[in-house]
Amino acid sequence: MSMREIKLCLLGDSGVGKSSLVVRFVTDTFTANLESTIGASFMSKTLVVNDTSYKFQIWDTAGQEKYRGLAPMYYRGAAAAIVVYDITREGSFQTLKDWIRELKQYGADNIVLAIAGNKCDMEDLREVSTRMASDYAEENNAIFLETSAKTAHNVAQMFTLITQRLPSESLLPQGLTDSGSIQLQKRVSASASGKKSCCKQ
Amino acid sequence: MAVNMAASGEDQRPRGSESSFSSHGHSSRLPNSPTLPWDKFSNWLHCICVVTFDLELGQAMELIYPGHIKLSEKEKMNICYLSFPDSNSGCMGDTQFCFRIRQSPGRKAPSHTDTQWERDAPVYLHRDHAHYYGYVYFRQVKDKSSRRGYFQKSLVLVTRLPFNNLFNFLTEIVAPEYFDNGEPCLEAACHDIDQWPSPQPGETLSLPMMGMVIQVRIPSKQDKLATTPVQVIHQQSTSPIPAPYVLPSLHEADIFKCLHPVLPHVQMLWELVLTTEPIIVMAPSPTVCSETVLALTSMISPLNFCSDFRPYFTIHDSEFKEYTTKTQAAPPVVLGVTNPFFAKTLQHWPHIIRIGEMGNIVSGGRQMLKTKKSSSLKTIDAKPGVYTTYKPFLNKDKNILKRLQKGIASRRPNEVQTAMLKRYLLELTQSFMIPLERYVTSLMPLQRNVSPWKQAPRLKPFEPEEFLKTVEHSGPQLTSGLRGDWEGLYRRFFRSSNFEGWLRARQQEVDDKLQALHLEALCDADLSLWIQGRPEVEVVDLVLKLREKMRFAASNKVCVKDEVLHRLTLHLDGIIRALPEDLRTILKSS
Repeated sequence: MSMREIKLCLLGDSGVGKSSLVVRFVTDTFTANLESTIGASFMSKTLVVNDTSYKFQIWDTAGQEKYRGLAPMYYRGAAAAIVVYDITREGSFQTLKDWIRELKQYGADNIVLAIAGNKCDMEDLREVSTRMASDYAEENNAIFLETSAKTAHNVAQMFTLITQRLPSESLLPQGLTDSGSIQLQKRVSASASGKKSCCKQ
Repeated sequence: MAVNMAASGEDQRPRGSESSFSSHGHSSRLPNSPTLPWDKFSNWLHCICVVTFDLELGQAMELIYPGHIKLSEKEKMNICYLSFPDSNSGCMGDTQFCFRIRQSPGRKAPSHTDTQWERDAPVYLHRDHAHYYGYVYFRQVKDKSSRRGYFQKSLVLVTRLPFNNLFNFLTEIVAPEYFDNGEPCLEAACHDIDQWPSPQPGETLSLPMMGMVIQVRIPSKQDKLATTPVQVIHQQSTSPIPAPYVLPSLHEADIFKCLHPVLPHVQMLWELVLTTEPIIVMAPSPTVCSETVLALTSMISPLNFCSDFRPYFTIHDSEFKEYTTKTQAAPPVVLGVTNPFFAKTLQHWPHIIRIGEMGNIVSGGRQMLKTKKSSSLKTIDAKPGVYTTYKPFLNKDKNILKRLQKGIASRRPNEVQTAMLKRYLLELTQSFMIPLERYVTSLMPLQRNVSPWKQAPRLKPFEPEEFLKTVEHSGPQLTSGLRGDWEGLYRRFFRSSNFEGWLRARQQEVDDKLQALHLEALCDADLSLWIQGRPEVEVVDLVLKLREKMRFAASNKVCVKDEVLHRLTLHLDGIIRALPEDLRTILKSS
């Protein structure tokens, strides 16, 4: 069985349920009112799809505005990104659009984009229509699912769909092979005085 | 508030890395030892400081993170001064280096992970309970918005652990992001570190850090003493996946790169370091001087360098007076300095290594140098080289120099040159140490002298003259082709703190082992038979002694099987039961 490591990040407005989705995926549990994330949380989980095991390195970023500037560190070199909004909050869908735009501009060329309309168990309070979101996803060539971290609806499916969209290994885009790891190697052996920052791109 | 978070946070939230690290063999914490926020962080770092240049105050502490960490005024002052290049010439852009300061007395060391760590980790990686290391990333760039015209700031990781490469690499990731994004970046970085598993000797850990995963192996005492493989890097670059960043070594210096300018003298430098001679390293930048000092102190590995060393030392250091006084002989320390002022102040030091021209930073352009005769010392010569009147005890090994020179000529990669040099130094150190190890083994009491009815025997005292008698027929000449005055070198070594530190560690190991054997002997002895017909006072004495020994075993991580301790407890209960009731009560309450 082959094994692939996938760097994945979650982005989205504060309070849409990014951490809850990850906790549901990784430990299959749910807790209402998680404390808000600091910077980003790291978790990993292995998923087996069609005889290939995918080890997800999940960076669950903080939604708060003050951490906004840190986001590039987390989506840099990521093979996939899940952008999350809350179906009961129209504003969170607007924020999602900003993220999609940023990812298309600065993310890896072949990054797999996924859009999760979370909290779909709260149909009564819906503000974002499924149709509108799904059209938007289609325009942007993104996976789209409405999810619920609370009921576990569509959570594992989201990750499975992502594995199916990943480019086959031999076809990985240049952007991924250029990820931090290799450049940093050079830097470590570089002469002491000539060091430059390469974390900035 | 912090406590509150932990109590409710433990179950709610898979503390991130916990589930992912299990696959790397990370032994998860016991369920009955709840993790408080910052507990895991403090396994690695004491704190992160930001030092800035204040127009009124000069260097000033801008920030200490996490906020609850306390540093004494003296520590803060030292960190502030040592975090900026001393002589400011030419350090434009980004500069990385490391320093070491004394801890203020009276600080309690966190003890939660140390027991196991100290048993299994190589001694040179042990937590330093008397010093802090500071890993600095300094940035100086033109900035029109600042009144001074420059942006000048340092980010410093303060820690007791000498994980040089890991912490240098960390500052390299964190500092530039911090300079761009401010405090939220420190929060994120510290939060990541607070999810790291504690360092476990012999394990390869995956450490998430601001969007990347650093993989590093923690060395163990059990490691074979070969040099680390260098191929790891090349395997990495063929992988198309954003795989973890593999740090080739947690702490090892690139000694070839560092010692290249003084290569012809490596063997003499090894002698100087082995015998803790006072050494000054003068270099044009804090990067070069700190790297060189660390490379020097690692030359005698696996022997631990037990004397003080300061990779970067300035005139503001609180030990400046103590170390530079001319009224006493120079102290047995290794100091790295950049300030030209030291050229004069420390002229009287017996051994001075100059690397690179002072006040003139040349990147990479290091050349081969010759030893300068002492006469040129008088004229504050600024030329690079090793300035000393020291006459090495051992003859020069031209072979290794030839091999390294050949490597230079054929542009052999630095990693390979370093591996070669390391191997050579390791063999030299081992040739020197094996006769000592053998002699210590002969000081072990015989196992049959371990008797339950007597005190545990101890290691016999080390007699230098006795040892030197063995050198003649089974000395280093058995494993090393080098000729010279080995005896003289041993005599000098006996006066050094490296010898003292080594001997103390050996004694401790042997004594622990003997204590364990003694406990086992007691456990197997028929104590109930022994107490029959003995006066009560002797029995009570036995009970007290047994208790004392068990307490000692428990608190000093003596390797005794739980079963032995359990059976001893049963023995003890049996003995106490046999005593009259009044005594029983007293013993129970004591």
